[in-house]
Amino acid sequence: MKNRIALCGALIAVGLSQAIAQTAPPPPAWQQGRGTDQAASPLAPVAGKLTATPVSELPIDKLKLPAGFKAEVWSHGTPGVRAMARSESGKVYVGSRGLGRVYEISDNGKERTSRIVVDKLNQPAVAFHKGSLYVMAIDKVLRFDGIEQNPNVAPVDLTAKFNLPPEQHHNWKYIRFGPDGKLYVPFGAPCNICELPTQEYAQLRRYDADGSNMEVIGRGIRNTQGFDWHPVTQEIWFTDHGRDWLGDDTPADELNRMSKTGLNFGFPYCHANGIADPDVKKDKACEGVTLPVTTMGAHAAVMGLHFYTGNMFPAEYKNAMFIARKGSWNRTKKSGYDVVMVKANADGTNAQMTPFVTGFLDEKTDDFFGRPVYLMQMPDGALLLSDEQTGAIYRISYAKQ
Amino acid sequence: MRSSRAEKIKCRVLAAAALLFLTSHAAAQTASTPAAPPQVALCTACHGPNGNSQIPLTPSLAGQPKVFIENQLVLIREGLRDIPQMKGMLDTLKDPELVALANHFSAQTPAKPTGSINQEVFERGKALSAKMLCGSCHLPDYSGRQQMPRLAGQNEAFLAYSMKQFRDHAGLGRDTVMSASLFGLKDNDLADLAHFLANYK
Repeated sequence: MKNRIALCGALIAVGLSQAIAQTAPPPPAWQQGRGTDQAASPLAPVAGKLTATPVSELPIDKLKLPAGFKAEVWSHGTPGVRAMARSESGKVYVGSRGLGRVYEISDNGKERTSRIVVDKLNQPAVAFHKGSLYVMAIDKVLRFDGIEQNPNVAPVDLTAKFNLPPEQHHNWKYIRFGPDGKLYVPFGAPCNICELPTQEYAQLRRYDADGSNMEVIGRGIRNTQGFDWHPVTQEIWFTDHGRDWLGDDTPADELNRMSKTGLNFGFPYCHANGIADPDVKKDKACEGVTLPVTTMGAHAAVMGLHFYTGNMFPAEYKNAMFIARKGSWNRTKKSGYDVVMVKANADGTNAQMTPFVTGFLDEKTDDFFGRPVYLMQMPDGALLLSDEQTGAIYRISYAKQ
Repeated sequence: MRSSRAEKIKCRVLAAAALLFLTSHAAAQTASTPAAPPQVALCTACHGPNGNSQIPLTPSLAGQPKVFIENQLVLIREGLRDIPQMKGMLDTLKDPELVALANHFSAQTPAKPTGSINQEVFERGKALSAKMLCGSCHLPDYSGRQQMPRLAGQNEAFLAYSMKQFRDHAGLGRDTVMSASLFGLKDNDLADLAHFLANYK
């Protein structure tokens, strides 16, 4: 009965909103859920930067890491860089936002040069699998076969096979091939907070490499922009962004563990460690919801997650997670803008988060100098860290002191 | 209408002359001069003295936020924002030159609006802007910040045109946030907003 009343209320609300659409258009996706108490708030999404940042302006000297670790500029001049993928021969492919480019970065051992593989795509992400570069934008999937040997290869358009839903907001991509050879793709909620317009959002899916055999493996996932597989259990762990406009300190972003497929991670009814949503309500909002391994700070914008399996870093880092937090906009004082290290038991218990790379944010002035987004491990065990704001990639290495 | 067309032709001629001047004087440029970037004359031929435009559909650049100008110049150069009048103009410019232009125009003083105000339209626009929370991102004095442009004192015809573009043609290089913000507004709503913002002092 309660469900029926809720449904009825929702239908009336939809009807009402349609009836008054002419005079009161719906707020943009990022403003949904913004209460009247926040009407005077000047908070707005932080500007991306489309121009290349000169090396002299990169914040490399500001970065602070634990003793023995060093960050240096690995490459630069690729505005908007996000997730990276490495080919067998060592080419690094990087997706970007804003200009919608995919860059190919070549390394001759001394210096890096880049070229644009494809541009004017809608926020493309990349993965490399069996000699092919996979590029997935919000509305397009392309495969570049043998691109290392044939730099100008025409892409195979796989878009139709993937059946991508139309909404764009939060549907910017992060893609990875899993240990099972399947392509894992998130489909974010097309709003800040809402009942889903259709059921094809707020979920994580996997496909065969050609787009066939689609399977939804998790639901209630608002906006995951990073995941990796536990080196021992092979379970997928993922980050998820919490909703906005509920105040500076709630609800927190999440680090989740998917112990099996078919789990519900709470959106839109239940957030963080079990906070029922005040706008989109449901009886027993958190019942049956898989709660996070740990919360990661409100509005921190948790991005790339990487389990460290290399041998360069000290033993205590083995199988620990590095997570980049791009940094907040919906918060009076900025937070995040760093990389943290998270150690947890394989079953998700006892998660401990400690700072790893800081210095992107000046807490006194509230200014930021970069936005760390993704991590990739190199064969020597060093980590590459991309900075979306400056279009640079840093190399993080360790040497015994 | 005729005078605006004549202005447009005049500005294209001036721009061409400025381009010629630039090409012939390129060698004389010194890297150390902190003065206006060499391309400024080319820009101001259409965008007006100090970037205060006198052509209705050409926007003023004076006092626009630096990041906003930078990003728009890149979008136009890369063909993500299609503006026929700007086609080819930025092809040879590298990012540092675009940044220098953005620095220059963001530091110019925007001219005070001098057009005649229709009080009724102005008030309607003011009320609508308050309701739509325009000042939330563009700031309460509509001076803009970061990626969000200055609206106060911008050319009225350009504002109306630009908002229609956002409302009707969401696409690559166009901000979906702004498109969503204007969703469902009628032409006369946009005209009210444009009149209010263009005359905001």
